[in-house]
Amino acid sequence: MKALTASALMFVILLGALFIYVAEDIPAFGDPYSPANRWVNLSIGIDARSHVVESLNHGVVPDILVREIKNRGLPLPEGYKVERGGEEGWKGWDILIPKGEMFYPNLEKYYFIMNEGNRLWIYRYSVPVRWEERCEEEIGVPNMVTAGLADYRGYDTLGETTVIFTAGVSVILLLRRRGKL
Amino acid sequence: MRVRGKGKEHGQEQKHKRDVIVTTIARLMIPFIQMYALYVMVGTEGAGGGFQGGVVFAASFVLFVTAFGITRGRRRLPESWNAALSSLGLYFYAGIGLLCIILSLFSAQYLNYGALPLWEIIGRPETRGLMITFVVEVGIAITVMAVFTSIFFDLAWKGEEDKEDNKEEGGE
Repeated sequence: MKALTASALMFVILLGALFIYVAEDIPAFGDPYSPANRWVNLSIGIDARSHVVESLNHGVVPDILVREIKNRGLPLPEGYKVERGGEEGWKGWDILIPKGEMFYPNLEKYYFIMNEGNRLWIYRYSVPVRWEERCEEEIGVPNMVTAGLADYRGYDTLGETTVIFTAGVSVILLLRRRGKL
Repeated sequence: MRVRGKGKEHGQEQKHKRDVIVTTIARLMIPFIQMYALYVMVGTEGAGGGFQGGVVFAASFVLFVTAFGITRGRRRLPESWNAALSSLGLYFYAGIGLLCIILSLFSAQYLNYGALPLWEIIGRPETRGLMITFVVEVGIAITVMAVFTSIFFDLAWKGEEDKEDNKEEGGE
C-alpha cells in the first residue's frame, strides 16, 4: 500500500511538472503576434543573398526557396503570387495561393517569409488568421465565435445540440415518476 | 398545496407560508431575466449565443420554482409543452439544413445557409448571418431551455408533492 502511495505521489509530481512545462509555452492571452496565433515557424531558413531578395521583391519565389519547400514535402501550387506583407515590426513577404485552387476558391495567404539576421525564414499562416480576416465578409456576423460555432463548424454544433436533447430524454426516461411524457 | 401565501387552501392547513419578499423579488426579476435571455440568444453582435441564452432562460424557470413551488411551476410549463419544445429547437436547426438542400434544388450542401434563395435579394453573407442569428441560435436556445428545465423539474419533483397534487385534483 505504501509503495502504491509513493508511486501515486511521484505520478502526481510528474504530471504537475508536465503541466508547468506546457503552461510555460502557452503565449500570453490575446497576443496577436504570438506564433501560435499568427505564424508557425517551419524551421526552413536560407541565406538572404541579394538576388534572392530581389526576386522576392519582383514577385517571384526564387528556385532555391521552392526547392527547400518541396524538399520538406510541403505544398506550393503552381501560379503562386508574392506580395509584400506582414505587420508593424514583422515586415516580410506573403506567398499567396492562386485563385481557383481546389480547396481555396479565393486568393489566400499561405506562407510568410521574413528576413531575420540575414537569413530568410519561412512561416506558415495559422488558421486563426484566416478566420479573423474573412469571417465577417463571408458570414456577415460580427461575432467571430458565433460565426465559427454556427457556420464553419455547424455540423459539430448540431451534434452538440443532439447530445443535450439525448441527455434530456435520458433523464426523462430514468427519473420521471409521473408516467406520462 | 403550499404555493400561495394565504392560510387555508382547499380546506387543507398549509405547512408554511411563502415569503413575501422572495415572491415579490422573483415576480420583479423573472421578466427581466427572460428579456436578457432573449437578448443573449440573438446577440450575434456581442457576447452570447444559443447555449448561453437557453441556460439563462432555464434559470428564470428555476427561480420561478424556487419562489412559487414546483406545482405552480409545472402548471406554467406543462410536461407536454416541455417535450414538444425540446425537440422543436432541433427541428429548427436540422430543418434549415434540409431547406438549404431543397430550396437550392439539390445544388448546395446540408447546412450551407448561403444557398437559400434569399441571397438573390440581400446577398450571401447577409443570408448566412440572418439564418444563424434568427433560426440556428434560437433553435439551439429553445432546445437547451426545454431540456434544462425538464431536468430540473425531474430532479426536484418529490413523491409527497405528487400526493398533494392528487389530493388537490380529487378536491377539485
